[in-house]
Amino acid sequence: MADTYEFSKEELEQIEKIKSKYPEVQSAVMPVLWLAQDKFGHVDSDVQKLVADTLGLPRAHVHGVATFYTQYYKEKMGKYVLDVCGSFSCQVCGAQEIIRHLEEKLGIKEGETTEDGMFSIREVECLGACGYAPMLQVTNDKYVNHLTKEKIDKLIEDLKAGKEPEFESMPVVYHQTSDS
Amino acid sequence: MPEIIIDNVRYEYEQPGKVLQFMLDQGLDLPYFCYHPSMSIPANCRQCLVKAGTPIVDRETGKPELDEDGNPKIRYFPKFMTACSLDMSDGMVVHTHVTSEEVRRAQADNLELILINHPLDCPICDQAGECPLQILTYKYGPEGSRFEHKKVHKPKRIQLGPRVVLDAERCINCTRCTRFTEEISKSNQLTIVARGDKNYPMTAPGETFDDPYSLNTVDICPVGALTSADFRFKARVWEMAQTPSIDITNGKGCNVDLWTRDNLVLRITPRYNKEINDHWMPDEGRMAYRQMNENRVSKPEIKLSASEHSKTSWNNALMTFVEQIEAHKPEEILVIGSPHAPVEDNFLLQQFFNKLGVSDTLFSPHITPGKGDDFLITDDEAPNTNGCRMLGLGEIDKKKLEAELKSDKYKMVVILTDDLFGRYEIEPSITEGKFTLTFATNYNATTKAADLIIPVTCSAEHTGSYVSVDGRIQRTLPAKETLYSNRRLNLEMSLSRLDHFGTKFDNWVSDRNRIDCIPAWEFLVRTAYEMNLKLGFESSREIMAKISDELPALNGVTYERMDEERGIQLDLKQIPAENVS
Repeated sequence: MADTYEFSKEELEQIEKIKSKYPEVQSAVMPVLWLAQDKFGHVDSDVQKLVADTLGLPRAHVHGVATFYTQYYKEKMGKYVLDVCGSFSCQVCGAQEIIRHLEEKLGIKEGETTEDGMFSIREVECLGACGYAPMLQVTNDKYVNHLTKEKIDKLIEDLKAGKEPEFESMPVVYHQTSDS
Repeated sequence: MPEIIIDNVRYEYEQPGKVLQFMLDQGLDLPYFCYHPSMSIPANCRQCLVKAGTPIVDRETGKPELDEDGNPKIRYFPKFMTACSLDMSDGMVVHTHVTSEEVRRAQADNLELILINHPLDCPICDQAGECPLQILTYKYGPEGSRFEHKKVHKPKRIQLGPRVVLDAERCINCTRCTRFTEEISKSNQLTIVARGDKNYPMTAPGETFDDPYSLNTVDICPVGALTSADFRFKARVWEMAQTPSIDITNGKGCNVDLWTRDNLVLRITPRYNKEINDHWMPDEGRMAYRQMNENRVSKPEIKLSASEHSKTSWNNALMTFVEQIEAHKPEEILVIGSPHAPVEDNFLLQQFFNKLGVSDTLFSPHITPGKGDDFLITDDEAPNTNGCRMLGLGEIDKKKLEAELKSDKYKMVVILTDDLFGRYEIEPSITEGKFTLTFATNYNATTKAADLIIPVTCSAEHTGSYVSVDGRIQRTLPAKETLYSNRRLNLEMSLSRLDHFGTKFDNWVSDRNRIDCIPAWEFLVRTAYEMNLKLGFESSREIMAKISDELPALNGVTYERMDEERGIQLDLKQIPAENVS
């Protein structure tokens, strides 16, 4: 399927606004990649190309930025990406069991996406929430802390029903690119 | 004058600058990977760490504080500094590995880190022998590694572009290649992808690294990560002899090195010349090695029929030439010089036929408008157009040339090494009924049309001077032996270790690679002798001496000066501009 990606007029205006915030266009790459990921759900090579061409930057540069950060999805992911922290604190508190439980429950392996396109599981590096270990993050957004098998089951049911988890700890600064 | 103390030795400096570059200028040694004098300084390899400090200045008096012995007290930076990015300041004290055990440890530890994921494939790596990582590890590295785990594996043998192959495992992420495409060639085709121990240089998805300067990244790569698709696995660098020369594929005159083994040029790399090409050269110039090796005319050839030539002896070739000259009146001979041949050959051609009474020597510039860029590629595809102009050769374009070749005025045509028939797509039948002689290095459309082919040396086999589009005269040195030259006897030729210690009976030696050819000027001198013309020269050096006597524009130009000054800038005003007649 050859997707063609395009920014709408409003989004282009928003991109102009982002650009005007910085002295250099290069600085706008990351917020515009976020914008693209919010819209398309991923920044695969075609989206990277779109971002580069929109900003008038070398494609290689945008590709370099996009591949540096794991939070930019370089391929189509599930609607909910479950990033389970696998670094030290979470690991000693049982992150591996959490991942195994998730794998069994969803019938996929770490790094894969369910067939219905709902869930992806990834083991990621430290998310900076060691105090709440083990924990996971849902699609670059909300943290779900102090994970247990029961909590995972509930999370999956909720997400399937379209109900996103509540913030459990401190409010996360939203990565939104608009002025709000 | 401000001064800096490096390893307890005092140096004065005039220009502000960075410590590493100053040390290199002084001939001091400091290991580094990512630094390159022509590009920005990212200081990311961390190999040039030094211990540095500045004198403590008393704020009230403005004078340096002194210790008990009367020496200024030094406040060292809390951490080691990267010498490549450290600005020199007056009174600065720098300790390198020479005087500081700590710095020695830092360098060794840094190398140990760099080597953690670096494959130990030096025996099959093209870079081995000229690899900064290999050399610096021998000099400064730790003896072995404490890393006991599996190395990270990355993609190997990725064809980045038509000419460059990437081995990501060898990469140490110095970013020299990406900076080159960003800052020098400005194609922006490379970037470092991913991060941590998984990163390596790559193009954007779907793009190929087809930069016309792409092979420069192979030269500056401090490891074997980027290799030339063409030169890969051809030869070990220490087996080759290296000869300074110049690029003959365009008018810029980039300084290059020819790398030869067994009298084959195996690769061409740029040689530093601040005035012309800095450290760079276009990819196209590197491919010229093929025309130096392949499809060469060896031994004179004489035409039998429209499609057939036969090899003949030098004696026969020479006598045929003499006969033909004697059979024709001077005004019946059309003489065409060549922007592809050196000044010496063109000069002698002109002199030889002048003596016979031929008034005009012509030449046709090889210029393709729009081919050049603002960097090192020029519209001019020949190395010596200005040299021909300087000698006063008459400039003709394709139309004029065809008219001259067709004209009944001429019964004999002499063409100096220039594939006129090929590059202008002229039908061979145009010279029917005329005796055509061409001096040639390679077989081409012109040799096909010629009645007599005189094989001559190419820029890799002779000493010849070329005047660039910017009016700089430079010369080549012989890199390949012909059947009549010998590396051991010709002191201008270089000897590799294999040349030096090998014998001609070694199994890597093949006599087939020596071409049966002589310089064009030498053939003319021999003919002149046969015809009792006064035109005696022993070497191209002598010819250049004669030219510099006769031509005001070349006054004082000698081979010695060209060698010493890396080419001589001539007064462009004295070179006649384009004058298509």
